[in-house]
Amino acid sequence: MPFIWDAVVYLLAGILHWWWTANLSFFGVAPNLIFAAALTYAIMARPLRAITMCFFFGVYLDLLGSSLFGAYALIYTVMAYGVHLVKRNIDLVAPFAQIVAAMILTVATMACYQTLSLALAKINPLQLKAFLVEPFLNALAAPVMFSVLAQFRKRLDLL
Amino acid sequence: MNREKDIANYAAIFFAAVSLFFLLFPSVRLAQTARILLSYSLYPSLHYGADYEHFVRNVPGNIIAILRTDQENRVLRDRIKELEISAGAAESLREENRRLSAEMKLSGEVPFRGIWARVVNKNTQDWYGSVFINKGERDGIELNSTVIGFEDGRFGLAGRVYEVYPYFSKVLLITNGVSAVICSGPGGGFEGLAEGRGTWMMKVNYVPEGSDISEGMQLFTSPGGVLFPQGLPLGRVQKVHPKESFMNFISADVAPAVDLGSLREVYVVKRPLPSDIGER
Repeated sequence: MPFIWDAVVYLLAGILHWWWTANLSFFGVAPNLIFAAALTYAIMARPLRAITMCFFFGVYLDLLGSSLFGAYALIYTVMAYGVHLVKRNIDLVAPFAQIVAAMILTVATMACYQTLSLALAKINPLQLKAFLVEPFLNALAAPVMFSVLAQFRKRLDLL
Repeated sequence: MNREKDIANYAAIFFAAVSLFFLLFPSVRLAQTARILLSYSLYPSLHYGADYEHFVRNVPGNIIAILRTDQENRVLRDRIKELEISAGAAESLREENRRLSAEMKLSGEVPFRGIWARVVNKNTQDWYGSVFINKGERDGIELNSTVIGFEDGRFGLAGRVYEVYPYFSKVLLITNGVSAVICSGPGGGFEGLAEGRGTWMMKVNYVPEGSDISEGMQLFTSPGGVLFPQGLPLGRVQKVHPKESFMNFISADVAPAVDLGSLREVYVVKRPLPSDIGER
């Protein structure tokens, strides 16, 4: 029943993200654990599953936000597809590769979200401090999330 | 492989299209319905999270508080250890002060000039044989000087100096197996030779038969001795042995006047000795 486990991981990641941002954010900045989970799925899972989960992780972030419903869903879907193309040539299982990928993709997703927001809603949601700090926090969170989900996969035959 | 690639392409296109649909037509009934349905995924974190927030809200603060308490606990534990050591040292000093005060008071009763010394070392292999004191030739200690010990408000002969070094000396205790002290009963009624046996007890030999020696009697250094000044308490008779049929004297076991196993400070008497016993 892999679908059940995916739903469990999805909900756990959502709860953890909510709890972290509610209680452990410093100066309004916290690692985006949903992004880390989406990136992990994109790296570890097969393409269909990775794209599907990334879409729903994006939807989750869209639901947490107040505008542009579907923006994160689109961005994370594209991100999953991009990772699917890239991981044929680059080993993204190594922690350092995940750190680099997380930094680059965080900046890319932020830039895409900013572009979509400006284009479709004419709002400027991106805060400078988040843009400067969050890539580094996500880079730290991504390998940790990867190793946690890798343990899940090893013990529960997930992903 | 190609099939999987195709599926990935179709999936990407499908979900991108759905996302774009949500983005571009947010007011359409289908998009709103989907949004409402999908919003149930927020239910666990927002609904139950809100219910149990009061449990988890303070978790980071509580963890930090626990860590701080732990650190504080460690510091306080170390502090308690230091204070226990200080308290032990203070108690030891208080006890020493009390003892020294008593000894200083007692020393006024010792009718000799001398200097105080502290016992600095005892050999466990020779516990009742000798001790080292922290005064030596530089302090005026001379060979064969009489050494007086103190215990619980009384004083008594402890031994004599038999090795002198510049900064410390070695004292031969009266319980040493090679030690012998001429002693007498109260009032000089009889004389005997108190010999050490290497234990806490001495033995007095050569007491003439018919002497009034008895258990509990206090013995003193005798005027007949040359090394020690007369009249110093030597010990108390513990047991009088009956005369052997082939000897014409009796003997007795004597406990030293002070416990030589727990000497801490001693008083070294300074008095001129005959020059011919200056050598050991």
